[in-house]
Order: sequence, then structure tokens, then C-alpha cells
Amino acid sequence: MITLGIDIGSTTSKCALLRDGTELLATSLVAAGIGTAGAERAVAEVFEKAGIAPGEAAASAVTGYGRHSWGRADYESSELSCHALGARFVFPEVRGIIDIGGQDAKVICLDAAGRMSSFLMNDKCAAGTGRFLDVMAGILQVPVSELGAEAAKSAAPAAISSTCTVFAESEVISQLSSGAAREDVIAGICRSVAVRTAGLAKRQPLASPLCMSGGVAANGAVRGYLSEELGMEILFSDLAQLFGALGAAKLAWQKAK
Amino acid sequence: MRSVQELLQQLHEIAANPRARTEQYLTEGKKIVLTAPVYTPEEIIHSMGLVPMGAWGGDMQLNESKRYFPAFICSIAQSIVELGIAGAYRGASAIVIPTLCDSLKVLVENFKYGVPAIPVVPMSWPQNRVPDFGKAFTKAGCERVIRDLENITGAKYSDGALRASIKVYNAHNAAMRRLSAVLRAHPEVGAAARSDCFKSAFFMLKEEHTALIAELCDALEAQGAGEAKTTPIYISGILADSPAFNALLDEAGLSIAGDDIAAQSRQYRTDAPEDSASPLDALAEKFANMNHCSVLYDPSKSRCAFIAEEAKAAGAKGVLLVLTKFCDPEEFDNPLIRRACEAAGLPVTIIEIDRQMVNYEQARTAIETFRDMLA
Repeated sequence: MITLGIDIGSTTSKCALLRDGTELLATSLVAAGIGTAGAERAVAEVFEKAGIAPGEAAASAVTGYGRHSWGRADYESSELSCHALGARFVFPEVRGIIDIGGQDAKVICLDAAGRMSSFLMNDKCAAGTGRFLDVMAGILQVPVSELGAEAAKSAAPAAISSTCTVFAESEVISQLSSGAAREDVIAGICRSVAVRTAGLAKRQPLASPLCMSGGVAANGAVRGYLSEELGMEILFSDLAQLFGALGAAKLAWQKAK
Repeated sequence: MRSVQELLQQLHEIAANPRARTEQYLTEGKKIVLTAPVYTPEEIIHSMGLVPMGAWGGDMQLNESKRYFPAFICSIAQSIVELGIAGAYRGASAIVIPTLCDSLKVLVENFKYGVPAIPVVPMSWPQNRVPDFGKAFTKAGCERVIRDLENITGAKYSDGALRASIKVYNAHNAAMRRLSAVLRAHPEVGAAARSDCFKSAFFMLKEEHTALIAELCDALEAQGAGEAKTTPIYISGILADSPAFNALLDEAGLSIAGDDIAAQSRQYRTDAPEDSASPLDALAEKFANMNHCSVLYDPSKSRCAFIAEEAKAAGAKGVLLVLTKFCDPEEFDNPLIRRACEAAGLPVTIIEIDRQMVNYEQARTAIETFRDMLA
């Protein structure tokens, strides 16, 4: 049975196709989220990549903040439940997931059997989220995807506030005008996201192994600083940003089989 | 006998439109006294022939009140001033504001400046409410309320009338405790309608509300147990009256098996003794006997174990902490409550709400995930 998972986030739309809940056939990622045609494009793309017709998918599930406006899936589920399923698909032993998406951060704890035992979401604030990195990348005129690599060149990360995106923006400008090296400022920005997220994560009973999901997971500097702050290794997969879609596809299979 | 639906509809209309009830009482020649959160000694107001009308603010954009408050303060207090400035309380003779948290102390002063047409009567409760000196302090606070209300409204106080009002309030407490138990067996009523049952109590004379709730309980019991397929949860916090929030619970299939909400069951746990030396002693005794509340001094924090026990006894599968943003007393208790509940095998989730909230998507995600977790 082929199932489709759709994750409509604030800034991106992702899809995954699974066969029998175990074999990953294809994925897609479109940099357009809620309120755009991104989800339609992601769905079309994933079927094209898999080389199958949309009618061949026996069931579908949708997740992400845009799930309620999609209206064409067989099942709907919160992104936390789907990220947990997606993470277990890639890392079967994982006990904790830190998801940093475009507009929020979440920490999910799983028991040994993979059932969600607790979760926590961040305050309604851009600090510590992908949005924070987007804003900072805009100021520094660096593509957000290159922040991690730039930060890796730093020997002494600059001190950037983890409290507020607006304050941090003026701190970045102030650091740059004081002559701080660009890579140090970028490293400070990445560290700021990690410190903020670690503060959230430490409120939960974290257990190893731990992994990251969401778009920010691809930023190696944030992952490194987060690992340092938590004193725990953090697993990473190239599929991290697709965990929600993978989990949705898995959920559709579990429900429809 | 009216149907459950008819009664719920009436309670909804009362809860959703306090102005209509205010106008009705004013037309009848009655005087209105607003009662701010929490634990205003309504019995006194009622005994003086005045109508206590709850003033717990409302869900709204805060604009004018920001002239008086800092940014990071409870939106309940802010929205009370906002509504006052907007004229929502016009016709009220006074407002009684207890001073059990820092935000309420600020409200006492800011209401005076923001809404000068409505006189403020502070009710100072003691921190140490159990020792004799604490009870004497409570009595002194009540006497101040009586003096101020007599001066402002011209109404007269008498011990006999207060004794009678205490009986009215004890009967209402019993009715609300019965309601909570009856609704537990009727999850089909839903969180939104349940909220209406509690919220409407703020806008009616208690003897009228008691009669309405008794009629509802009788009608529900006559129906037999409900058959809704919901997951029972226990909720705790200051407020849970937002229609959007309650709709989320209903849509997620979560039913409220019990609550520790200050604006709901928490205020109805303790009766005033009816055999005290004086009715003011009875009110002081009642306050001394109250417990398990974030704004009542309790070094042992017995509230945390109490919530876990209540939730278990109610058959709840988990506990949802509905945290009013910037409510320090509740925030202090939440980690301890979480620990106590988790030790009792009850999963806990916190969602933060605010009188200014317009987007509930994050709350929806948290509630749906909580539902998934409890499944």
C-alpha cells in the first residue's frame, strides 16, 4: 500500500511517499508554506519523482500548521505526533526530538516503545526559531542555508541575545559596527538559537538518543552548540526537514492498513 | 421540565451577554456592584440588597488600558480596565477588588484612574488566614467593604441579612459541585457549554442561578448517562472561558472530567459555616478553611497533590494546565503540579492563554498532540 504524507509548514511544504509504511519511495520540499500553492506543488513533485500516478496512493495524511486548510487528506494530525513518527522511522531507537521549524520550536519526549510521553512548545516568539535565522541572514546578506558553514569558521562566537529577535537584530548591527568578524557574529547567532532551544529542552526529561528535526536541523552550527548546551549527542539525518511528512505518510499507513 | 438544550441555550445567552442581565437588574431598580477576581466576599454585597456582577474582563484587544499597565502583566486585570474605559460597566455603583496577587493590587489603583465613574472598594485578605489574628484581619477587611458600600450605595448592612445570604451562597456552592459531578457523567455537553454553566453564575443573583443549575442537573440526570466518545481530562488554571479555547477541546474530543479553574469549581469548594458566632466570623472562617489555590498562602503546596488526586478521582486521563499569561502565582505552581501529576501517572501539558489571544493555532496543535498522547 502506498501512502502520502504532507507537511504544510509556515515557510515550506514537504511530502513523502511510503510503500507499506516501511519503504521510502520519494520526498519533495517546496520553499512555500501556508497560504501558497506550495503544498500542491510539493504533492505534484513527489508523485513525479516516484514515477507513480496520484491515484496509486491508497491513503494520505496531512500535518503542519496548514493542515486544516488542506482539506483533501484522509487523515489529519498535529506535527508533533508526525515528527515523532517520522523520527522513529529514521532512528528507530530515538527517545527525544528537538524540532526547530520556521515559526516555533518543540521538544518531544518518547518512551522506550516510541509513545510520546511529553512535549513542550516555545512561547509565541521568533527568538530560537527558523524565523530568527531568516531575519539575521537577511541583515548579513548571507543565504540562510550557508549560516552553518560560515559559523564553522569562527574561533570566538560573538555574544548575541537569545531573548528577542528585535533586540538581537540591533545587537548584530552593533557587533558589526564594532568590527566583530562576520563569522563570529554568525556563530553568535547560531549559538543564540541553540541556547534558547536548550532552555526549552531542559524543561523536559530528555533521554538519549536525541535527534533534531525541522529546517534548522540542517544548520550544523546550531546542532553543535545545542549538543554542547545539553551535554548530549544529537543525531542528524538529511531527512530531518521531512520528518513531519514521513510521519504523516506512516500515520496514513497505520490508519488505512 | 425544560430540555437540556433549552437550559444550556439560556445559560449560554446569559454568559455571552452580561450587559443584558445588567440592564435587566438596573431596570428592576437594583444596584450593581462589580466583583473582580478572586474571592470577593459576594455574600456581603448580596446581603445588602445589591447585585454582585462578576468582572473578570473579556477577550479583546487592549488599547486604552495600556496607558495604565506595564506590558508584561495579567491581561485579565488589563481587560477589566479596558472594559471599564469602554463603558461596558456603565450603571455599576462600585467595584470590589480583592488584593490577592500583585496584578490585582495594581488593578485597584489603575481602575480608580482609568474608570473614575465607578468607585473602587478594595478587599484586603490576609496572607496568614488561619490564625486568629488572620481571621481578625479578614473580618476587618470585610468591615471596610461594608462601610464603603454603605457610603457609596446607601444600602444598609445587617447580620441577619448576611446570615441569610451565606445560606444562599452555600446552596449555590452545593449546586455547582453537583453540576461538576453531573457533567462528568455527561461528556456530550462539551467544554463550551460547560464553561457557559460556570460563567453565567457571575451575571446572575445566586438564588436564580442555583435554580437554573438544579433544573439542568435534574434534566441531565433524567436523560441517563451520556455516551459521547471523548477522552476525559482535568483542567487547572485561572480562566478557561474563551470560546475559541473551548471549541478546540470539543473539536479534539477532550471532555472536562473536573477542574481546578479559579473562575469555575475552585471558588465553590468551601462553604461558610452557618453556626458561627457572627456572620462575619463565618466569612473569616470560610476564608481560613479555603486551600489548594495559587493565590492563597500555603508553604506546603498541598494544591499539587490535591490536583493529582482530584484528577485521578474524576477519571481523567491527563491534566491540562491552562496558564494565563503573566500570572506569576500560577506559574510558580505549575512545575510542582506537573511533578505531582506525573508521579501519579497523569500526563500533563501546559497551554498559555491570554485575553488578547486571537490566534489559537499553537494551542490547537498542543491540544491535538495532547489528545494523541492520551489515546
